Amino acid sequence: MSLLTEQLKGFGITFRTMLRKPITLGYPENKTPVFPRFRGRHRLWQYEDGLEKCVGCSLCVAACPADCIRVVAEDNTEEHRVSAGERFARIYEINMARCIFCGYCEVACPFDAITLEHSYELSERERSSLIYTKDMLLAEHPKQVPLRTEGQRV
Amino acid sequence: MADYARVDLDAENQVTFELNGRQVSAPAGTMLVDACYAHGVEVPIFCYEPRIGPPVGACRMCLVEVEGMRGLQTACSTPVRPDMVVRTDSPAAKDGQEGVLEILLMNHPLDCPVCDKGGECPLQDRSFKFGGGKSRFFEGKRHFPKPLELSSRIALDQERCISCFRCVRFSQEVAQDGQLTMQERGVQSQITTFSGDAYEDRFTGNIIDVCPVGALTSIPYRFVARPWDITNTPSVCGLCPVGCNTELTLRDGDVKRVTGRPDPNYEVEEGWLCDVGRWGFDGDGGITRLTRAIVRDANGERHTDLTDAVAAATVALRGASKPVGVLLGATATVEEAAIALELAGGALAGARVARLGIPAAPLAALRATPRAQLDEIERADLVAVVGGDPGLAQPITELRMRKAVLRNGARLVTIGSRPGTLADVATHVHAAPGALTAAVAELAAQIGATGRPVVLWDEAELAAEPAAAEALAEAVSANGATRQIELGADVNGAGLRALGIPATGLLEALEAGELGALLTVRADPRSAPGRVAWEAALEGDVPVVALATHADRTTDAATVVIPVQSLLEQEGTLVSMTGRAQRVRRGAEGPAGAAPGWEVLIALGHHLGAPPAYRTASAALAAAGGRYAGIEGLTYDAMGVGGVELPRPAADHLAADAGPARAAGSDGLALVATRDVYGGREASRAPALAAFHAPAAATVSPATAAALDVTDADTVTLTSPYGAASLPVRIVDGLSDDAVFVTLGTADAAAEALMPPDRGPVRVGVSVEARR
Ligand code: SF4
Ligand code: SF4
Ligand code: SF4
Ligand code: SF4
Ligand code: FES
Repeated sequence: MSLLTEQLKGFGITFRTMLRKPITLGYPENKTPVFPRFRGRHRLWQYEDGLEKCVGCSLCVAACPADCIRVVAEDNTEEHRVSAGERFARIYEINMARCIFCGYCEVACPFDAITLEHSYELSERERSSLIYTKDMLLAEHPKQVPLRTEGQRV
Repeated sequence: MADYARVDLDAENQVTFELNGRQVSAPAGTMLVDACYAHGVEVPIFCYEPRIGPPVGACRMCLVEVEGMRGLQTACSTPVRPDMVVRTDSPAAKDGQEGVLEILLMNHPLDCPVCDKGGECPLQDRSFKFGGGKSRFFEGKRHFPKPLELSSRIALDQERCISCFRCVRFSQEVAQDGQLTMQERGVQSQITTFSGDAYEDRFTGNIIDVCPVGALTSIPYRFVARPWDITNTPSVCGLCPVGCNTELTLRDGDVKRVTGRPDPNYEVEEGWLCDVGRWGFDGDGGITRLTRAIVRDANGERHTDLTDAVAAATVALRGASKPVGVLLGATATVEEAAIALELAGGALAGARVARLGIPAAPLAALRATPRAQLDEIERADLVAVVGGDPGLAQPITELRMRKAVLRNGARLVTIGSRPGTLADVATHVHAAPGALTAAVAELAAQIGATGRPVVLWDEAELAAEPAAAEALAEAVSANGATRQIELGADVNGAGLRALGIPATGLLEALEAGELGALLTVRADPRSAPGRVAWEAALEGDVPVVALATHADRTTDAATVVIPVQSLLEQEGTLVSMTGRAQRVRRGAEGPAGAAPGWEVLIALGHHLGAPPAYRTASAALAAAGGRYAGIEGLTYDAMGVGGVELPRPAADHLAADAGPARAAGSDGLALVATRDVYGGREASRAPALAAFHAPAAATVSPATAAALDVTDADTVTLTSPYGAASLPVRIVDGLSDDAVFVTLGTADAAAEALMPPDRGPVRVGVSVEARR
């Protein structure tokens, strides 16, 4: 085959593609939607009455292969009741710089207190900002991402 | 804990039987569970605990199949018999074990996530390993109010209790305090005290260790950590000279819990701890802890860092035109003492090294007689306690003596001025203070007629009566089977003596103006016996460099104060009263401004221009082991985790270490200075031990109180030739008449003011100060 037909074939692809809808996204204005079971940033949950589901049992700590969760528990008292059980987590921290998003903590938790949610925008300018405290984990993440709908191909 | 008893597979009279198809053997009389364990077969148990006593078969967990016996047998209470055929893994045995677990879990709450036992819970482990994995029980579970405070230190969760009776049996048969009992029956069974009051006693914490579930948990440790949050370090308790082997639970650089070793040292504490050893760690921090170095000079007082303080200490010590004195306290480690001796040989040439303690010479002959470790008490047929009150001063020894009486039928005799904590099991032979010699002569006759006597003798009381000590030494050596155990007064007294350090000489030199400076290592002479004399001797402008953990009278006045790490924070070696060298391990990190005592001393050597040839504690010990006969060849490796017994000192060891001969005279009342770990300074710093905190008192018998015309609402002033103290009166039955009992080591050091530095016999005058 001659050089010319080769080239025409190549340009053919180029022109065809030029007319297609682009598959890149204009991040950060547009975010890649994630699957419902995507494992992103953690969230600690509360019951409707405001009591924390977490009882500070440290099972997530034991399960975590990256050793990035730290829990320090304390007694609930009548005057200061944080969770439904006898104990609650006074300190609950996850070092997001170390987390490998395996989801073992979620599996280990007997109270569904911790889950991995969908946000993935976790970059910070300092490592120390990547240590998420209990307050941060109890609150909704400010940078939400869209979910994929059924059959959606981006 | 030590769930299974030790089995000696090489002992005589082995019995051969079949275990899961294998031919194995064990000594006759061994319980099946122990024999199985020794051969690598774990039979699950809950109630069986050989240290507490004979099996009771309360939990039925240990079911196994024994051919020819109807039904399943409890392996914890079935001794091995020749040719028996045992199956622990047959379908019938497994079905039995699963069934028992299912019943135990029927009413067991789903508390694991909030239960302090979770992760180190035998019920969890055995459910996992031997359970059926499913429950057929869907009805509601029993409920109790929880948690309850069984005492100020122990929380009780009745829902979790599996009625194994271990705690009750500990209380009844080991501590023999007769307090705990099981109330109601069936699912309503509850642990409680007979009186319904709090379970306050001296050994209560052990029930936490023996409880196989989370029914009994430590209140100070409540929700503090999970087993995977912590590391455990084997160490040794530094609060009394028994030297119980402990395990430190560490989290975030701090000691959070002290427990008995899971693998007990049967020659020492057998896995038990007294409550002070268990919760006293709590007092290591606190407001009196020294966290920064202090230098006092012409410009006043300044807080500073370690480097600056060591430099200031160097100036103070080198500036002295006369030799320096080095005073070692009772908790100074062997390493620190050895480095101090090396400084005295080089950097501080001519320095005089002494320890705060009891002169060794009067007791040398007695110490040279055959010695025993504590386990020997169990094998004795006669146990004699000469002087002292071991239950308060060397607490764990009390449990051994009670065991000897209850389980082996030994005869227990206490001789001295007070019946003490063993009164309910011992025959008390009264001997007024100063009259031990006659009682010892009587004892000698009894020892001679007994097969295996063990004599425990009180260091302080026999040092005050050298004639009695000599008589006892003769009595012990007369019958070759007799063994003696010293009830020591000072934590590392034996270690300091092994290095040849005397208790006398330093104060005398100081008084004579022969010393230019004083270096104290974990020593507070201003709170020690003879403190009035010490204070007078330090009155001049002798600079004092104090290495201490907590602020005390000496650091308050010292020129340079260097904070050192406590025995929970640094490496070290302590020698127990029975001559065991044991390793203290670094647990907590301690305050940032403190350094290990040995490191400070090495740094001083460097600053003084004669650096020692080592830089670590282990090298310092190895160097000392090559130099001093008393600790020959001692290294960390040689000690391992269980320690080694050092050779007994020779009869002429420290022969010159004697105080002046003191005649007590006959004016006034005899002073008996007792030791009480529970009332001591360390215990008083620990908030967890608040139940033991009691003010120091002058304790007298009712007759003496009547003769003095005082009641226990009065305060008296005691006056001795050495000093005076004013104390509230307490009246206690059973004490010697014409004697006043005071406690050493309390926070106000009142008793110490009445005594001479060598603690010789003292008589005091009593005058009523205030009446109420
Ligand atoms: S997801 Fe992260 S935090 Fe959770 S267990 Fe895995 S590594 Fe640990
Ligand atoms: S998040 Fe769940 S597993 Fe982790 S401490 Fe809380 S309750 Fe326990
Ligand atoms: S005692 Fe053991 S099995 Fe029971 S709740 Fe506590 S951890 Fe779980
Ligand atoms: S409290 Fe613990 S040790 Fe006592 S009977 Fe119950 S389970 Fe056994
Ligand atoms: S361990 Fe044998 S009955 Fe409890």
